[in-house]
Amino acid sequence: MSGRRLTRIAAALLFVSLAASTLPRLIALVNDARTLLPLPYEARRERQMGPWYVSIEKLRRDLRPNEPVALITSRRDIDSAVFANYYLFPIHTRLYLGRNAYRNAAPDPARPAVLVAVNPSHAERTEYDILRDRDLAAGRRIVAAPELSTPMTTFVLPLAASLDGPPPGTFVIEATLVNPNPVPAEVRMTFWPKGLTRTIVIPARTTKTYYDLVYQLYGIMNAGWMRVESSQPLRAAFYFANRGRGDATLMPNAAADATRIAPALLHRDTKLFVINPKDSRATAILNGESIPLDPHAFISRPIETLPAVSGNVYAFVTTRELNGRTDFLWPQ
Amino acid sequence: MAAMIGLAVTLILFPLAGWSLGRRSIGEAFLFGAGLTGSVLFLAGVVHVPLVIALALIGAWSVGCGVWELRRRRRGMPSDHPLPTPYSPLPTILTCIPFIALTFAAAITPLNDFDGRAFWVLKAKEIARERAIDGPSFKAVTLDPRKNHYPILIPLDGAVILGIAHDFDDRQLRWFYLGVLAALALLVRERIGRLVSPSAGAWCAALLVWIPQFSVEAEGGALSAYNDLAIAAFAAGAFFELAEEVAKSAAPKRRDFGAIRFGLWLAFLILTKSEGLPFAIVFLAVGAFVFRKRITSSAIVAGIAAVALFVWRTRIPPGDEEDIIRLLPTIPQKLHNVRAALAAFPRHMLLMPHWGLFWIAVIIAAVLALRNDRRNATLAISVIAAMLAVYVLVYVATAWVVSDLIAVTADRLLMHVIAPSLFLLAMAARRFRSLNPESVD
Repeated sequence: MSGRRLTRIAAALLFVSLAASTLPRLIALVNDARTLLPLPYEARRERQMGPWYVSIEKLRRDLRPNEPVALITSRRDIDSAVFANYYLFPIHTRLYLGRNAYRNAAPDPARPAVLVAVNPSHAERTEYDILRDRDLAAGRRIVAAPELSTPMTTFVLPLAASLDGPPPGTFVIEATLVNPNPVPAEVRMTFWPKGLTRTIVIPARTTKTYYDLVYQLYGIMNAGWMRVESSQPLRAAFYFANRGRGDATLMPNAAADATRIAPALLHRDTKLFVINPKDSRATAILNGESIPLDPHAFISRPIETLPAVSGNVYAFVTTRELNGRTDFLWPQ
Repeated sequence: MAAMIGLAVTLILFPLAGWSLGRRSIGEAFLFGAGLTGSVLFLAGVVHVPLVIALALIGAWSVGCGVWELRRRRRGMPSDHPLPTPYSPLPTILTCIPFIALTFAAAITPLNDFDGRAFWVLKAKEIARERAIDGPSFKAVTLDPRKNHYPILIPLDGAVILGIAHDFDDRQLRWFYLGVLAALALLVRERIGRLVSPSAGAWCAALLVWIPQFSVEAEGGALSAYNDLAIAAFAAGAFFELAEEVAKSAAPKRRDFGAIRFGLWLAFLILTKSEGLPFAIVFLAVGAFVFRKRITSSAIVAGIAAVALFVWRTRIPPGDEEDIIRLLPTIPQKLHNVRAALAAFPRHMLLMPHWGLFWIAVIIAAVLALRNDRRNATLAISVIAAMLAVYVLVYVATAWVVSDLIAVTADRLLMHVIAPSLFLLAMAARRFRSLNPESVD
C-alpha cells in the first residue's frame, strides 16, 4: 500500500473517530437551538434553567439595583448561589454559606441587609428569622424526653424567648403540651409584655410540641414571659434551650410571687430578671431601691453580685458559664 | 438583533487591532488583536490610565493602522505573500460545517457553562461596569469563589465588547469565543500550510474543529466562555513563531521581529490564565534554543506582562484560588498523588467522546515525525511534554482531591497543546506520503 493511501486511510480513520462524537452533538445543538428560536432570549434561559431562572427574574424585578444583597446558601448548593450572583448582576451580592455565616458577619458594616436564600430549585428574598426558623425546623429538638409537669390549667413561664446570642448561641423555648383528657383542650397563650395572644386547640389525648415556641406562635424573635391558660388540665414541659450549644434547662412554673434567690456562683453576663405576672402594678425592691413595675412587666439588668430582691414580683438570675452554657438561679 | 453589536465589535475591532502591528492572516490578526487589546488595557489599568481613554486610543490606533495595513497588503499581496491554497476543497468544506452549526447555536442558545458564568464573563461585566481592573468588585474581601487573582486578558476583551454594546448580557460575548476557535483554525491552516503543506494545513484545521473538546464540549468548548480555547490559541501563536524561526534558520537570514512577536504571544498567555505563566516559561526555555540571543527581547516582553500581573495581584485580595508556588514544597507529603497525576493525561487522551483517536494519532505521528524532521519534531514534542509535566506536577501538589481536579481539568489542559500536536500530525503525514516516491504534491 502506498504512503499516500496509508495517509488517507489514517486521516479518514482519525476524522471519523472525531466526527462520530461531534456530529451527533452538533445535530443536538442545532435542534436545541431550533426549538429555542421562536422564544425571546429570557424565555430561552427559562427553558434552559427552569423555575430557578424564573425566580431569579422575579428577584431582578423586585430588588433595587443599588442595594447590595446577601446570598445565603449551603456549601452543597454553592453553585446555585454563584449563578444567582451572575444573573443578578449589576446588583452587588455577597455570598454567605449558611445563616450562621451571615450572623457571624454582623460586625461587618458592609454586610448587606437584604437577604436572598438560594438553592438549586429557586432563589427568593427572605428575612433572617425565616431562615433561622427553617434551620431550626430542619434540626432536632434538644430534649428528646421532656419531664412533664403534673396536670395544670395555668402556667407562667418566667422566660419565653426566641433569640440569638453570640455565635453559636440560638435560644428557643422547646415546649411539650400533653392533653391527657378525653375532650379537646383550648389553650390560650399570651406573650408578655407585648401582650400577644394565640389560642390553640389540642385534641383529646394528643401531644403538641414546639421547637421554638415564641417564633412558632407569634412569628417574632423576642424575649418576655408567657402565661398559658387551658380549658383542660395539661401536662407540660417548657425548656429554655440553646440549639447552638445543645443544652436545655427545664423552666419552673412562675405562677406565684417569689424573689428569694439562693446564693450561687455567678459567672459572666449575669442578669437579674424581674417579672410582674399580675394584671395590676407591682413593686420590686432591689437592694432597698423600689422599682415600680407595670402590669405584666418584664425587666432585666446586668448584675455583678446577687442583689437582695423582694416585693410582689417573680425574680430570677441567669449567668453564663465559661463554656457558654446559661445557668439559671430560680427563686426559692 | 441585540447581539449584533457584539458580533460587529468582535469581527471588526480585534482583527484591525491585530493588523495594526503588521500584516498577518485574518485568524492570526484576530488572536493577535484580542491579545493586544486585552494586554494594553491591562497595562493601562495597572498604571491607572482610565480604561475608557485607553480603549479610545486602541480603537483609533487599530482602525487607523489596521485599515492602512489592509490597504497596503491588498496592493502588495500578489507578489509578496501568496495565500496558500489546499488541493482539495473537502477539508475546507469539513471545516465550515461545524462553524455553521456552532454559529447558529451561539446566536440562539444562551450561555450555560460553569466557569464562564462563575468567573470569566462575570469579571468582564464587572470591569465594564467599574471601568477599572481593581474596582470594588475586585477589592471586596468576600467568601465568594470568585478566583480574584486569575488573569483577566479575556475578561478585558469581553468588557470592551460589553462596554461598546452598552449591554451587560452575555449574548454579546458568544461570538468572541466562537471567533477564537475560528481564528485558531485559520491560524493552524495558514501556518501549517506554510510550514508543511497547504493540504496539511487545511486538514489540520478541519481536524481541529471536529475535535469534540473544542467544538461541542459544554465545559471548555467554543460555546462556553472558558479561557482554555484562548490559551490554546495564544500557545499556537507562540509555537508557530518558534516553528517559523526553525524553518527560517535554514534560509538566508533576514532581520524581522519574530522574537518580539513570540514575546507578545507569551505575554498574552501570561495574562490569560494562571497556566499561562508556566507555559510562557516553558516556551522561553525551548525558545532559547531557537532564537538564541534574541530570546532576550521575548523575555523582556513576557517579563513586563508578568510583572504587571504581579503588581495588579498585590493590589487586590486573593480569592479561593490555589497558590501552587506555595504548595510545591508540600509535594513530598503528597507522593500518593503521583500515580493518579501520571495516569491523568493518558487516561483522558483515550476518552473517545472528547478526543476520538486524536491523541493516539499524535503519539504515532510524533514517532514518525522524529524520523522525518528531528528538529521540528523535537520542538513540538518538548513543548507538549514540558507542559504536560508541569500540569502533572500541579496535580501532585494540589490541595484539592486530585481525582476530582483531574476529572474537571485534564481535557481542558490537553487543549493547550493542540498546536504542536497538529504540527506533529502534519509532519508525520508528510513523512508518510514521502514513503511513496510517486506521491509528490
